[in-house]
Amino acid sequence: MGYILNQLLNGICQGSIYALMAIGYSVIVGVVGMVTFAYGEVMMIGAFSAYYIFIYVGNNLPLAILAAFAGSFIIGIVIYKLCYERFFTAPRHISLLCTIGISMLLKNLAQIVFGPETKPVLNVVSNKTFNINVFGSTLNIRLLQIVIIVLVIVLAAALTLFFNRTKYGIMLRAVSQNKDASYLMGINVKRTALLGNCIGCGFGGIAGILLGIYYFSVSATMGSAYSMKAFAASVLGGLVDIRFSALGGLCIGIIENLGIVFTAATFRDIFAFAFLILVLIFRPQGFVSKKGARV
Amino acid sequence: MKKRVLALMMSLILAVGLLAGCGGSKDADETTKAPETAGEQQDGEEDATEPAAEGDGEFKGTIKLGGLAPMTGTYAEYGKGFDIGFNKAIEEINAAGGANGYKLEIEIVDTQGDTVTSSTLCTAFAEDDEIMAILGDFTSGACKADAEIVDRYGVTLLSPTASADDYASMSPYCFGIMGRQDVEAPFLAKYILGKYVPEEMGVDVQKVGVIRVDSDWGLSCYNNFMKQAEQESYEVVVETYATGEKDFSSLITKMQAEKPDVLVVMDQGDAVFQIFNQADAIGWEIPHVALGPGTSEQVAAQLTDNNNLIVTSPFFFDPSDPELAAWAEWFEGEAGFAPTIHPACAYDCVYLIAEAIEAIGDGEVTRDAIRDALAELPAYEGLSGTIEFTEDGDIRRNYMICGVKDGQWTVLEGFEYGAEGV
Repeated sequence: MGYILNQLLNGICQGSIYALMAIGYSVIVGVVGMVTFAYGEVMMIGAFSAYYIFIYVGNNLPLAILAAFAGSFIIGIVIYKLCYERFFTAPRHISLLCTIGISMLLKNLAQIVFGPETKPVLNVVSNKTFNINVFGSTLNIRLLQIVIIVLVIVLAAALTLFFNRTKYGIMLRAVSQNKDASYLMGINVKRTALLGNCIGCGFGGIAGILLGIYYFSVSATMGSAYSMKAFAASVLGGLVDIRFSALGGLCIGIIENLGIVFTAATFRDIFAFAFLILVLIFRPQGFVSKKGARV
Repeated sequence: MKKRVLALMMSLILAVGLLAGCGGSKDADETTKAPETAGEQQDGEEDATEPAAEGDGEFKGTIKLGGLAPMTGTYAEYGKGFDIGFNKAIEEINAAGGANGYKLEIEIVDTQGDTVTSSTLCTAFAEDDEIMAILGDFTSGACKADAEIVDRYGVTLLSPTASADDYASMSPYCFGIMGRQDVEAPFLAKYILGKYVPEEMGVDVQKVGVIRVDSDWGLSCYNNFMKQAEQESYEVVVETYATGEKDFSSLITKMQAEKPDVLVVMDQGDAVFQIFNQADAIGWEIPHVALGPGTSEQVAAQLTDNNNLIVTSPFFFDPSDPELAAWAEWFEGEAGFAPTIHPACAYDCVYLIAEAIEAIGDGEVTRDAIRDALAELPAYEGLSGTIEFTEDGDIRRNYMICGVKDGQWTVLEGFEYGAEGV
């Protein structure tokens, strides 16, 4: 029982990071209206921005999170200018191909600039473990896991408030729902889409450094695998709904970890993507209850 | 119009990205840019040694080698070591007049630690008649994938680090100098788990937890380990993971529930420290043993518990040996990290090829001649120790026990500790 609970906790923690990735991904797809394949590299840039804060400033987590957000936000501007801005009315495959090209470029540039080797991210959060008695079984919860889960909840809540309570948030929602109508209402669609893309990238960057802290390392090639997980979680949430995308990420994390209970870690991705396929067979629109619902 | 210009720009970015991904190392690029020889390639499929180029008057010609190394990806540290080791040896040999009067050149390409990429690049080398022998790759899996290719094209593949016991026997053109898993893995089971851990750490090993990479190399390690583990009557619990995995938390939780006495990780890459760090993170106190990373500086530097790792190693840069110490110091200056056995083996591989070319004497230097001479070389005293090929084309090494103490590698027990053999 304790073992299953601990695996469930691992899944929730990992799923929380996937949820943050998926939230950022959904914001991009929702506001910009196009799928991105450079998201993994955006996460990697965020992770390295924070890594250099750890190196030069010390293990200051809030500052590192700000740096991760800022680094990925800036990359978001570059990606938007190169891959989206001129191609809103062009066939979708053009911007899609551009994001693939940018992804390769960023990954290879990162290997040259940051080096190909894995960099350590050690002791950012104290290595404390709390033993909690749950129905007679011991649940070992790490301080790091608590920090990650709380951070993801806070960030998701902040983003929800931003979307619902601020002028820019409402503009983003409007652009997400109908670009033409937004334009007619006097919203600067391109600038708003740029902002949405950058916010989505910023969240990806924070997810990147959370992965780095959780796995104690960052590397130039770390983004590729997680890019697909973010995409899968986002698809589960109907691609553009941040609440359901977050739920998708959480489910993937839990399914992966519970799957390992019965088999080997080698099959981790099989569980994640089999779950995705199963859900899509029965609910092609994903978890989202209303077709076309957006951020 | 603007869209077309932008689309063209995007295509250019994509092309640059692809080229950057496919490119070899900086040094490799430099070597490929070396002055081409003026003469026509000699007739015949194999003899592709080139006459001396202008400015290379002291050489009879140039012999080109292909180098396969994981310059990027999870094994990048080792790929960088290969690059530096290969080029250092070539520089020294050429400065001393070349191999039997021939200048050596090497073109190093990035296999990314990936079997498919390695096979593709190996085929490209094999189809290039100017390449007389191929050095690399890093992993046994990649080398085994390349074995069929070099066998078909009749070109020597000399791996500095492949240690799977069934690699070299796959083709008469396959050679390896790392030693074999059927010696190292049983050594770990018998001497580290059966002797060192009980005697020095006070842990009576009955149950062993093994976490291994799910690859050819990992399977070979595990199978060889199990042969000895059965003799030692250990109860072994094993978990596997795919190459490139980063999250081991659930796997460690599963392993912890089995309550083993010692945790053994079988991998050569970043996973070694990631697994141990994630085990530390949940407060699991257990002796850490690894098979595969050797005395990797990167592993030692990235451990959260810098006093809890024991490994097998056939070699250690002994600071009291002036030659080894000087080489290690030079390497660290070039690479930015301390050397393991891997770059030393890469360095030795070039010298072995040079020895084979010397042994050919006045005969024609062909791919087959290099293979035959290599197979018949007498025992060679290299930087990494004595190298004497078996009939299969690999070598047998002795092992010592090394460990991390205060973040630094140190020899815990020398070669005499396992003198009885396995």
